[in-house]
Amino acid sequence: MPGVFDRLNKEIQDKQQEGGITALDLADLPPALRKIMRLMLREIQMNYPRLCEVMDAMPERERLTRDELQGALSTLTSQFWLIRIGEGEKAIYKVNLRRKAGSTLAAGIWSSLDEKLKRNPKDT
Amino acid sequence: MKGKIVSIHSFRGGTGKSNTTANLAAQVAMAGKRVGVVDTDIQSPGIHVLFGLDEDKMGKTLNDFLHDKATIREIGFPIGENASGAAGRAKLAGKNLWLFPSSIRGREISQILKEGIDFNRLNEGLQSTIKEFDLDYLFIDTHPGLNEETLLSIATSDILIIILRPDQQDLQGTSVTVDIARSLDVPNLILMVNKALPKYDFVELRKDIESKFNAPVAGILPLSFDLADNASNDLFSLSTPDHEWSRSLREVAQAVLTLG
Repeated sequence: MPGVFDRLNKEIQDKQQEGGITALDLADLPPALRKIMRLMLREIQMNYPRLCEVMDAMPERERLTRDELQGALSTLTSQFWLIRIGEGEKAIYKVNLRRKAGSTLAAGIWSSLDEKLKRNPKDT
Repeated sequence: MKGKIVSIHSFRGGTGKSNTTANLAAQVAMAGKRVGVVDTDIQSPGIHVLFGLDEDKMGKTLNDFLHDKATIREIGFPIGENASGAAGRAKLAGKNLWLFPSSIRGREISQILKEGIDFNRLNEGLQSTIKEFDLDYLFIDTHPGLNEETLLSIATSDILIIILRPDQQDLQGTSVTVDIARSLDVPNLILMVNKALPKYDFVELRKDIESKFNAPVAGILPLSFDLADNASNDLFSLSTPDHEWSRSLREVAQAVLTLG
């Protein structure tokens, strides 16, 4: 039977399949949202108290009020750019980046290339 | 935040990006810092050559990490413990420098092109590299031009170094990169001019480029036949420290250390 960690991990992975943000989307965000996303990119995941702690440590002109922070988190999670696990003070936020799409070349081209590369002993 | 991410980028190929990245990382490691170098140029990796690695020595790679076949700990190759074979690299013996190489196996490169990249996994790898190896600096060697992995590395960087040649195509491309870096709020943006013809007035050139991009030029490195002759066989700034190219490169390394 899977434990709590496995269950949460599965929940995160399932949610990460649903869209996600690209670096170009980041450039289009309003400054407050971009600030949070850049922070989350570096921290990977943070709980709400930790986010507040980091926000409080920022220079005053860059700081978000608690209401602004809540609003920003709500916007980001509704877009699946951040994933929220849990509720309230215990919620953990995790950044969700969109996967780079694979090639759209026909599958036959790749299997043919794969067959040819297999013949190189160093590539097997 | 401990551990600065330094992305090295150029809009066009052939600017000497990998050579510069390897030499900068080596200089920062020589200054006593703990340094990592990640090759995110997954489709055309090359920086491993400058550190004396070939396919046989390489072991696990970033591709293995992206496919969940290896941990970050397993792919970090300790350059300081394997510093031999060339006079410059030998100076790195005992230094805290790790390379996180990309695979040079055809099948593994084609697998990435075919299947794409899980950016959550890539970003987690970059960030956990800093924590697991307790790094002061993580240098990211990117693919030239603007692609998704390059944009991600720019978005997460503390310092972005854009390399350009004094060439109209490079200047136009650099404008694009500078605009994007600014729109991503990169905290520190510095420029490095490489392959400048010695006949140029470097003081005037610096002034022109700084004024065009409103960003500091940390160094102007001359076009050098000596460096070309080195042919990526060694870390030139360590093997030939008194050369003008090496002296200018150390100015860039110093700028990184100052910002960090």
